[in-house]
Amino acid sequence: MQLVSALTAITRRTFIMMGRYMFNTVSVLISIYMVFCLAFFGMKAFAAASPSRALDGTFEGTIVGFFIWTLAVFGYSGLSWELINEAQTGTLEQLYLSPNGFKRLCTLQVVVDFLVNAAVAVVFLFAMMATTGRWLNLDAASIAPLVIVTLLGAYGVGFVLGGLALVFKRIQSFFQIVQFAFVGCLVIPWRIAWARFLPLSMGNGLIYRVMAEGKRLWQLPAADVLTALAVGVAYLAVGLAIFSACEKAAKNRGLLGHY
Amino acid sequence: MKHQDGVALEVDRLTKVFRDRGAREVRAVDGISFQVAPGEIVGLVGPNGAGKTTTIKCILGLVRPTAGRVTILGRDVASHYPGILSQVSAVLEGSRNLYWRMTVWENIEFFTGIHGLPRRQYRRYFEHLVERFGLADKRDVEVRKLSQGMKQKTAVVCALAKRTPLMFLDEPTLGLDVETSYELRKTLRELAGEEHRTIVLSSHNMDVVQDVCRRVIIVTAGHVVADDSIGHLIGLFKTRAYRLALRGPAPEGLEASLAAHFRGVDVQNSPYMTQVRLRLPEPDDIYMLMDLLRDAGATIEEISQEEPDLEKVFLEIVRKEKVNQCNS
Repeated sequence: MQLVSALTAITRRTFIMMGRYMFNTVSVLISIYMVFCLAFFGMKAFAAASPSRALDGTFEGTIVGFFIWTLAVFGYSGLSWELINEAQTGTLEQLYLSPNGFKRLCTLQVVVDFLVNAAVAVVFLFAMMATTGRWLNLDAASIAPLVIVTLLGAYGVGFVLGGLALVFKRIQSFFQIVQFAFVGCLVIPWRIAWARFLPLSMGNGLIYRVMAEGKRLWQLPAADVLTALAVGVAYLAVGLAIFSACEKAAKNRGLLGHY
Repeated sequence: MKHQDGVALEVDRLTKVFRDRGAREVRAVDGISFQVAPGEIVGLVGPNGAGKTTTIKCILGLVRPTAGRVTILGRDVASHYPGILSQVSAVLEGSRNLYWRMTVWENIEFFTGIHGLPRRQYRRYFEHLVERFGLADKRDVEVRKLSQGMKQKTAVVCALAKRTPLMFLDEPTLGLDVETSYELRKTLRELAGEEHRTIVLSSHNMDVVQDVCRRVIIVTAGHVVADDSIGHLIGLFKTRAYRLALRGPAPEGLEASLAAHFRGVDVQNSPYMTQVRLRLPEPDDIYMLMDLLRDAGATIEEISQEEPDLEKVFLEIVRKEKVNQCNS
């Protein structure tokens, strides 16, 4: 019952804040869509000039990559921004006074954010497909589990940055680095052995196979799916461990109320 | 210190040592111990940097203590964390404890929600609190649009709405005007009595503490220097100190004549009015004082006995403690 009340409260707050900061919410979506359009039309112009048609399969990859990147960036930055904002406004200590425990509240917030972000990303996905004229295979039963597995790594990074925010407060410069790093993880071909162990990389490859090549989840190599899952869980576990260590340091040094 | 029945809060040798970058130790809290009975309203006072807020944050688990033990309603905080927080609420930074982009009502629902209280079940109680604190017509207004006093009241309502038996209020009247401060402490005092809440109130404002609390714990340099009922503490510092206003300049030889009989004689002379302060060792000495004044040819315009208040008691205790520290 306690957890249900907490989940209800967090969900309501998420929607209230989205409404109160509507201009910011909409402008983020528009700016991401504009970046996508720039990338797509730039590539299209480049492909038209290329006699080999070497970029033919890349358009689908770009759509899938942008879809995953959007979810990953929303996911990791949502959590860490939340912590930075809470510390700055002075509400962080009140969240720590919840008998549900702060980590559990964070987890509930991650779940709510994921559902909201997923809904937004799906709309964004349709916008991208409509813009490019490339309609991908949307097998929800195969895509949803792969998206969750892929994003585990992003949330792991989110917990690391969230933990650092508890101790160092101002870590905004890290955000841009991580955004570029995520682009790198999505661009590097996951067939390269070491690239499989990067966050997002392998999951993105598997989602590409479902969405662009029309494969079903059970038609994918089990070893690949398990590797993606293991990598995601490992990043999340490391993220949570670092978050706990930072939380302990913040409590030892009395930093929770600082901003 | 063993747990006793009927103890709402027990703090036993609580210590917090911070280490700065040069590994220098700062003992913010130095072995503080005290108990608070259920339904008691206790003031925690001390000069800046005395360790009041750190003590409260250590009790709440927001700062990890270096040593010591805290029990809330007989349960050890460290081993029952965070579940034990269902018994506790706190206002730590007043209006900063709120979401300014959310309304009064939305803040109440959010903070009680994460505390595990279903909003539908407690709706009437929330309405009662909002009414009681004079926020009824502001309940759907975003906090950022409220005055400082109303923000502060909203923070207190959010803490009260959790219906916890134990509450911590750290500087609840900070930044409030006299009227709002008076109104807030009146409501707090009434509600605490009606709902039998245990409250630990930390404030720099001695009027607030004297008005709301029955007992006070004075902390300096991280340790408790006084823990007593306010009435008893004031009684200890009660002296037969008098203030007199005499018409015109002081008659010649008056100061010497008074100083020969009484202690603490202070004469402030001016052409139109003379202020005299002194302490009488015995109650009957008032007659001797009157005789001396009459013999000196002084005309009394006004006479009053100086009553000590918590602020004077506090300043005296802190001053003595500083002297003791310097001596040791």
